[in-house]
Amino acid sequence: MTFKLGMLAPLIALLVLIVGFPLAYALYLSVTDYKLTDRGTPGFVGIDNFLSTLTNVDFWEAFGTTVLYVVMAVGAEVVLGLAIALALQKQKWAKDLTRSMLLAPMFITPIAVGLTFRFLLNDQIGAIPAMLRGIGISYDFFGPGRALMTLAAIDAWQWTPFMVLLLLAGLESIPKQPLEAARVDGGSAWYVFRRVTFPLLSPVLVIAVLLRALDALKVFEYVFATTRGGPGTETQTIQYFTYQTGIQFFRLGEASSMAFVLLAIVLTLIILTFRRIERGRAA
Amino acid sequence: MANVTFSKVNKMYGSSRIVSDLDLELPDGSFTVMVGPSGCGKSTSLRMLAGLEPITSGEIKIGERVVTDLEPKDRDIAMVFQNYALYPHLSVRENIAFPLRATKTPRALALKRADEVADSLGLAHLAARKPKDLSGGQQQRVAIGRAIIRQPSVFLFDEPLSNLDAKLRVETRTELLQIQRRLGITSLYVTHDQEEAMTLSDRIIVMREGQIAQQGTPLEVYSRPTSTFVAEFVGSPKMNLIDGGIERGIFTSDSGIRLETQEIGATGLVTLGIRPDDLLISSSPEPTLSLATVELIELLGPRAIVTLRAHDRVLTSVVGAAQLANVREGSIVGLSVRKNSSHLFDQASGSRLP
Amino acid sequence: MRKPKLLSVLRITLLWVAAIFVIVPLAWITLASFKTPQELNDPGLVLFTPNFDSWASVLSSGILDAAYRSLVVGLVTVGISIVVGGMGAYAISKYKAGGSVTRFGILAAQVLPPAVLVFPFLTMAYALRLNDTLVPVIFAHLSFVLPVVTWFLIGFFDAVPPALEEQARVDGFSRFRAFVLVVLPQVLPGIGAAAIFGFTLSWNDMFYGLILAPGNAAILPVAISGFNTFRGVQLGAMSAAILIAVVPVVIASFFIQRKLVQGISGGAVKS
Repeated sequence: MTFKLGMLAPLIALLVLIVGFPLAYALYLSVTDYKLTDRGTPGFVGIDNFLSTLTNVDFWEAFGTTVLYVVMAVGAEVVLGLAIALALQKQKWAKDLTRSMLLAPMFITPIAVGLTFRFLLNDQIGAIPAMLRGIGISYDFFGPGRALMTLAAIDAWQWTPFMVLLLLAGLESIPKQPLEAARVDGGSAWYVFRRVTFPLLSPVLVIAVLLRALDALKVFEYVFATTRGGPGTETQTIQYFTYQTGIQFFRLGEASSMAFVLLAIVLTLIILTFRRIERGRAA
Repeated sequence: MANVTFSKVNKMYGSSRIVSDLDLELPDGSFTVMVGPSGCGKSTSLRMLAGLEPITSGEIKIGERVVTDLEPKDRDIAMVFQNYALYPHLSVRENIAFPLRATKTPRALALKRADEVADSLGLAHLAARKPKDLSGGQQQRVAIGRAIIRQPSVFLFDEPLSNLDAKLRVETRTELLQIQRRLGITSLYVTHDQEEAMTLSDRIIVMREGQIAQQGTPLEVYSRPTSTFVAEFVGSPKMNLIDGGIERGIFTSDSGIRLETQEIGATGLVTLGIRPDDLLISSSPEPTLSLATVELIELLGPRAIVTLRAHDRVLTSVVGAAQLANVREGSIVGLSVRKNSSHLFDQASGSRLP
Repeated sequence: MRKPKLLSVLRITLLWVAAIFVIVPLAWITLASFKTPQELNDPGLVLFTPNFDSWASVLSSGILDAAYRSLVVGLVTVGISIVVGGMGAYAISKYKAGGSVTRFGILAAQVLPPAVLVFPFLTMAYALRLNDTLVPVIFAHLSFVLPVVTWFLIGFFDAVPPALEEQARVDGFSRFRAFVLVVLPQVLPGIGAAAIFGFTLSWNDMFYGLILAPGNAAILPVAISGFNTFRGVQLGAMSAAILIAVVPVVIASFFIQRKLVQGISGGAVKS
């Protein structure tokens, strides 16, 4: 038994040090008026930061922007990811190469992806707008009303592969017999997919969507690389807004309270999803 | 070479008792098979002897050495697991040589010994292969090779044949027995298969709910089972057990079957046990005998299993095929018991009546 | 038999289109890194004489130092994660008791928004006079690499039959030697994959690096984002810098792609 504890202790100690303690400290920061520029002891302000966060119009605007972004990005990733995973599953020729290539974007540092697209889609020097002009279309990817969609598309470019990876793992763990039985029963390909493959895949799909949504909520690099929140505040996402509050305006207490509001939202999302999974199992 | 002793060994998992007050003696050089239904504590007992499960109380000795608190590595044992547990990253030769690495045997010598062992098991041509490239039977031999290379004081076998097909099982069984006889190493073998237990062992131990139900030679256990549990568990097809009363050698079951036994001394309520081989049928019954309807005949070469129904009781009889000349499914036959071969048990406790 | 044929045409078309979408941005960046500033203003230009000025200027701009710092952060983070996480994962996998609490803790650590943890890390770094050094970056990276690596390794240890280790102990080895000689070789490929995956996570992070070490100790993604401010003038150099960051991980991903599917289905998907 001491062997077991000896093996586990370093992990628990390290997790407490790098997650538990900072988390407690963040909670402390969120009830102070701490500013990075202050030298004195920060004053205790109770729930003032939370109140001002919850009543801050800009925060909720950023929140709405982020939700819209997550819905567009993850929605596209599910549809594309499922189609590509199904296509890849049947792929025999150059299997490993095809898979590695299609999965590659998720391994690239997001800031590089953001910067690449910033210039690839740039109105003056980008290849894509130039190509579109060639066929007579003028489209400003980062213009008003479009920038957020473009960001979501960048997210989809980078993270559809992650969806593909999870769904591929899910598809490959589906037992063969139900599929064969459905085919013997004379079902069409569409019928087999809708009635057998999709229901068997749905637990994985739910987890994949959850993981992606949680990650997309934290979007920062693309905004930082391309629009910096503009045009206006159209693409100001929560993580970017928090970053600005904490780093550019040095208001750490307020930024921490924002982070906790986000954490609360994230946890609610997780709990709701798990409830649904549980109910799905019970039914 | 050593005998093995369990004294008052107990094993608890939380509040449930898996093995209780086990006293056991494995004589030096003997081959003992522990048999019983799943959950009877046989595997736990084996693993306690191996040192893989700590014991709750009691003492285990190998030879004169108390090993209760020793690590497995210090007990001088070898074990063959159900799924062989071959090391996937090592070749056949390295697998067999592996235990010698623990004793710091020089590598060249260890490999040479491994080759000898592989040779004696007919594995020489496979020495360089990895376990995944072997058949089930070959993997089994490698596992045995790995167990014998160190010449330990005790061999442990945890259902080692259950993953093989029927034919291979019988062959390997014989081979295992020959190896054990040649090396003369005290062996404990755990199985749930009573037929395997009967054919392999010098001594058989039938386990039930963490306790020994009966131990002895296979012949003793088969011919004088001490309880209805052992009587039913050992022997195939199962012994017929019928509740009823006996008086002056005549047994009458609750449902009305009348059978003549030689148990003159007994009177009162009993459970009568008759091995299927000892339940005789005749196609031209005498009027005094109970009658039965033949429901099913299963031919097994020279012999046949006959399923009978008498007074709403299903009975099993095993007869020579030649005796079935005038018998077919649906026939009415007379029942009798072979002389001096009935077993009587107490109805309430299930234990054997003297 | 016309319908299956139609389906497979659709399937192959889809894969080709996806492949083109993946390749075009990367190809464009590669081309851009070999263009002169004048040529960069012509996005349609595909055939031109390669020019190495961008590469020369980026290599002399200290980007290699940043890459070196990223490498150090990645290796230290992964090294600690593999040793500490590996030991913990083995204990969790082997002795189920207490595992669910630890497993939950691991998952919880994974979903924390970085904005929650980054400010405590920053104030602590200031307090210890470690701001703008690699130390707080390594600790911050551990907060998301360690849980993932541990999670993967639990799945890989689960796949090792317990009988193997027991066999080795009966064969005369101590618990620790049985672990090293028999269990470890079985999970080695998994450990390799988890290490590479953890490394790419660390290598790719910018958020923590940007806040905890924006200046002298900038890691690679932070250094790359530095080219952003100069716009078109530095586009060629920035492209080269991006390639320096991208190429190693894309090559690494090729080797772990298959194990990754297994690690995910062993850890996340099945539970």
